[in-house]
Amino acid sequence: MMWIDSGTMPLLTLSVFFLLLSPATSTSAPGRPRVTSCRSPEKETFTCWWEPGDDGGLPTTYALYYCLEGSETVYECPDYKTAGKNSCFFSKNDTSLWINYNISVVATNAEGKSVSEPVEVDVVYIVQPKTPESVMVSVLEDDHGPYLRVSWDKPRSADTRSGWITLVYQLRVKQVKEENWEEYDAGMQKYYNVFSLHSGKEYMVQVRCKPDHGFWSEWTTPAYIQMPDFIPRERSMWIMVAVFSAFILLIFAWTMNVKRSSVKHYLLPPIPGPKIRGFDQQLLKSGKSEEVFNALVIQGFPPTTNYEDLLVEYLEVYDDVKQELVLNGKNLPEGLLKSKTMSSDNDSGRGSCDSRTLLMEKCAEGVEESGMEQELSQFGESSWASSDSGEDRENPASPRQEDRKVQTWPPVFSSPQPHHFQQQQPGGTRASYHSVPEISCRSPPGHSSGGQQNRFSKPGFYQYTQMHSMDSIEHKHVAQVPQSQSAEYVEVQTVDPENILLLRPLANAEGHDPELSDFAGEDYSKVRDVTSDNILLLQRDLSGPQYVRDYCQDQSGQVDPCFMQLQQVEQTCKPTNVHLHLPSLMLQDGMRLAGNGYVDSTIMMS
Amino acid sequence: MSRNQKQAVLFVALLCLDLRTHVGSAPICPHGHTGCHILSLADLFDRVIQHSARLHGLSSDLHSEFEHFFLPSKNHIGRVYRKCHTSSILTPNGKENAQKLAREELTEVILKLLTAWRDPLSQLHQSMAHQQDFNSFSSNKALELSDMVHELRKGVEKVTEKMQLLGMISNSVNGLSSSEALLPASESGEAMSDYELVYCFRRDSDKVQNYLKILKCRIVPEHGC
Repeated sequence: MMWIDSGTMPLLTLSVFFLLLSPATSTSAPGRPRVTSCRSPEKETFTCWWEPGDDGGLPTTYALYYCLEGSETVYECPDYKTAGKNSCFFSKNDTSLWINYNISVVATNAEGKSVSEPVEVDVVYIVQPKTPESVMVSVLEDDHGPYLRVSWDKPRSADTRSGWITLVYQLRVKQVKEENWEEYDAGMQKYYNVFSLHSGKEYMVQVRCKPDHGFWSEWTTPAYIQMPDFIPRERSMWIMVAVFSAFILLIFAWTMNVKRSSVKHYLLPPIPGPKIRGFDQQLLKSGKSEEVFNALVIQGFPPTTNYEDLLVEYLEVYDDVKQELVLNGKNLPEGLLKSKTMSSDNDSGRGSCDSRTLLMEKCAEGVEESGMEQELSQFGESSWASSDSGEDRENPASPRQEDRKVQTWPPVFSSPQPHHFQQQQPGGTRASYHSVPEISCRSPPGHSSGGQQNRFSKPGFYQYTQMHSMDSIEHKHVAQVPQSQSAEYVEVQTVDPENILLLRPLANAEGHDPELSDFAGEDYSKVRDVTSDNILLLQRDLSGPQYVRDYCQDQSGQVDPCFMQLQQVEQTCKPTNVHLHLPSLMLQDGMRLAGNGYVDSTIMMS
Repeated sequence: MSRNQKQAVLFVALLCLDLRTHVGSAPICPHGHTGCHILSLADLFDRVIQHSARLHGLSSDLHSEFEHFFLPSKNHIGRVYRKCHTSSILTPNGKENAQKLAREELTEVILKLLTAWRDPLSQLHQSMAHQQDFNSFSSNKALELSDMVHELRKGVEKVTEKMQLLGMISNSVNGLSSSEALLPASESGEAMSDYELVYCFRRDSDKVQNYLKILKCRIVPEHGC
């Protein structure tokens, strides 16, 4: 305690003494009270409340004084009781509207008094009505579902009937378990309909009111209501619509699925395939070509009796081994057909597969031929393999038989191309050629490939075939007629079942030398070689058989020159079945094409 | 001046009305015109009351703007304000007093009040426009107030005429012209300030609205009273 100054020590003890002694005796003037609020419930009376300040330890009385605007007269509160403690109630007689009250509260105790701050009040602007009364909530039904109807009454004290006060109402609704109120303004009416409430939930409703300018009243005590369970009609309707449309969709999808093919047929109509009148595709599928061709055969067509004019077959067979040409033969009708098909395949504008049209074309010109008959009769039978499938292949047919065969020929084969012959034989001796893509040059006696050379003992024999390539008009002369050498003609005797042409040399061949020699020329192309898979290799160059010879010499070991095999001709016109396989006849070394390019270069080169 | 013409036509039509027709229910167009539309008394009252409500709202807005701008302290301590110039007009200051008044007197009071404010409001607008303290919005409000007061007065006159026509009130209403000379001069001779004008007018517009409502519910009580 050395730090305590000696002078302050008695002061301290004195103050402590006083503090201890005087708790009950310290008093002071009261603190300032404060007017908290003044309110009028109906614009006829009003009440003011104050808040007392510190009372200063003494009993304090409070008094409220007021004076009116424009007057100095001070009045005291007429009623301290009605409104409770610390309040002042102004009755109707004491209330004047549209006048400012200057109100202040004075707190008085023994020590003194204190005056609150004055407050100016105009009663008209402090109106706060009582809460609405008799709030009733009920559930009503209409077309769209249940809704709430809330009704209430005005607060009893408010006089709206005389027009003194105008009240507007407001209500609020919420689910019991939620937090957010939904407020609605009802205006001056005393009822309200609340829609779009959730089914099965419990709601609480409150109402309050306000004068046209004033304060809102308190909310009424909540009114509870339970919404019934229901399904909104719109939703149920939509559910039904959805189910129904789903059902319809299902049925539609199922129907489409069942009728898939016809729908596809309707939407994407198939491109009709080529049709040949009278051509039965079913026969094709069955695989019997003879029936197909029989179907195509029309008795009495072409309307000419000189069908033999159409038939000119020249087979010139070389006896020279080296020059033996191997020609691939085919079942002739098929081959012809096929060539026709080939002719229509890759080039537009060329003839169609329709054999009838081709025949019509050619027959028109063939009819004019008169000199053909003689030649034909000489060979008569120099006809290709019969169109009859396999009937006569077995037996070496007599000329007569072949005649017969020939007779059935014309419809099948394309008509000759007279213009070629006209060029060379203005005399009018024309020969009509049948286009045969490939012809085997097997001799009748032997079918083995080894003995082929023996067949063609006569020199200068060669064979040529006319090929219908793409164009029915063009000829493809398979072999070139060597002018220097004598040429002999063979006639096709028969066609083997293995599609091998059996040839028979003819007697009179010289007479046709000039023809043949004339035939030789640019219109014909030599068959150069036949590959192993029955592909005819054509030679373009017309220089003569040397090429052939050379070629044959070159590939003596590889090629069986005179071996021809008739190939199966596809019986359809489809281009994919071209057995000529001209595309594979790619130019090999030393191989040239015929001068006039009868071999269709597109086919060749493609 | 189509408004005056309309009023004149209305007046003539009212004059042509059969005075024995009862109040307010089926208005009949004179001369058998089907297109004309004569308002019933209740409709006229409603219109006038709406107009006065709008007037009061506007004046309240202007007053609060004044308060925020000029006098931030809410209790106006130390503010000395003079009496409103309309304080000479005796107005009922309570419901009983208002209900004790006769219809004619009430109508007269209304008309007096409205008449007394036409000029002061135009003055207010002019003074506000000149001062730069107020934005144009406030001065436009003042201008609007004066127009509205003028229109309201016309409306009330129309109602009065209709009431007189219908025999509800006597023809002794004479507030139409006698209060024109009332000038807004305070006792001290000074012109009132803008704030005081606005303050007084707010109060008076509320009075007018209240009185009109009372009048309506006294004369045509079946419509929303």
